[in-house]
Amino acid sequence: MNDAKEYMNKLMQELRRGTITIGVLSQLSEAQYGYSLVTSLGEKGIHVEPGTLYPLLRRLEKQGLLASKWDTNEARPRKYYLLSETGKEVYELLIVEWQHIVQNMSNVIDVQGGDKDGDD
Amino acid sequence: MEMIDRYIYAVTQKLPQSQREDIADELHSLIEDMLDERVQGKNITNKEVEEVLMELGNPKLLAQKYRGTKKYLIGPDFFDSYLIVLKIALISTFTAIFLNFIIHCVINPVSILDHFTEFIVGLVTALPAAFGWTTFGFAIPDYFGEIKSKNLEIGMEWKPSDLPPIPDKKRQIKYCDSILGIAFYTLFIIIFVFSNEYLGIWIFHDEFSGVVPFLNRETFSSSLLFIILILGIGIIKECLKLVYGKWTYKLVTYTALVNLVSIIAVFIMINGNAFWNPDFLLELTQAGLVTENSDAYRTVSIIWNQSTLWILVLLVIGLIWDVIDGLIKANKK
Repeated sequence: MNDAKEYMNKLMQELRRGTITIGVLSQLSEAQYGYSLVTSLGEKGIHVEPGTLYPLLRRLEKQGLLASKWDTNEARPRKYYLLSETGKEVYELLIVEWQHIVQNMSNVIDVQGGDKDGDD
Repeated sequence: MEMIDRYIYAVTQKLPQSQREDIADELHSLIEDMLDERVQGKNITNKEVEEVLMELGNPKLLAQKYRGTKKYLIGPDFFDSYLIVLKIALISTFTAIFLNFIIHCVINPVSILDHFTEFIVGLVTALPAAFGWTTFGFAIPDYFGEIKSKNLEIGMEWKPSDLPPIPDKKRQIKYCDSILGIAFYTLFIIIFVFSNEYLGIWIFHDEFSGVVPFLNRETFSSSLLFIILILGIGIIKECLKLVYGKWTYKLVTYTALVNLVSIIAVFIMINGNAFWNPDFLLELTQAGLVTENSDAYRTVSIIWNQSTLWILVLLVIGLIWDVIDGLIKANKK
């Protein structure tokens, strides 16, 4: 049983790695700084550690999906991230793909579930 | 608060200079946000700071995430060629040490136990060294060649019609043959360089008492250059076969060229002055193996004097056959 959990954890890690990117892109049509993103994603049930999110934001910026700007007007200077034009396009495309995946996966899983019910 | 600076320093010192300051500023504001949320307006103590830093995790890991560096020494781009070279290096090292062991056992069988110890020690030191240097040699270009993987991706486009035809069994060059070939050439180079004093007729009077060498000791160092050159050419030839994997006209042409060069090198080496030991017959007599003016002496002297010619003839025939054999195999469809 412990083995099963270990395998699941490994697979979940791989799964999450991709979905976090989509989650981040989904929240950045308005500019946010890193920690506010941690909170807002957390409220929606997507838990991401700052130690993972901050490097990810930087990588997405380097790839050109995000744009960033320092806001030094407030007491604490913060770096705000916003979807770039490319980022917006990529996000739109990703949503479509994601919905395909959800649909196809639930087809596959439901069929299996149906079989089980039949056996019972 | 000093601990926060130390943490940020630990993360950023391993990052590229250009990003350090920006990342440091961003981490600073992140840590302060996290602290604020934790204390909810109360005073911040060292305990909270420690908790927040623990939550962010090991600075080394965080720096790694920022760098996004690969976590391997030799990447998939190089791995296949690395394995081939590694096999060659290990096989030739092992063979050289093993042969050294055998030679010493024949020369001095009484202390076989000592030789065996030397053999084991040799294996234990030389094999890891061969492994290490090969790995090192591959890890360095992999580390510095970051652009290369992108370049390789360009070549990744393909059509099914690009697929090479399955090589005919008869045209195919066996992969292990070439590796064995390279290992033998390497072995001969090692023997010529380190154990050349044993190349000759071994004399036994009850026990091993010396060698009558085939080669001229005085001119040996210049001969050695030619020998290394000729064997090196052989290694190049085997590498070409390894790259092509099957006999083609191109490979036959290269083989012919390479063989021509080695024939010329052998001619220059043997015809140049004093390649062979000029006192060979005299030394044989002195060693008591033959007596002058006996039938045996005449036979040996005929063999010795004609050997140059015959070695050359055999070599030329061998190298020409090498090309013809390749040509026949390339012709098979």
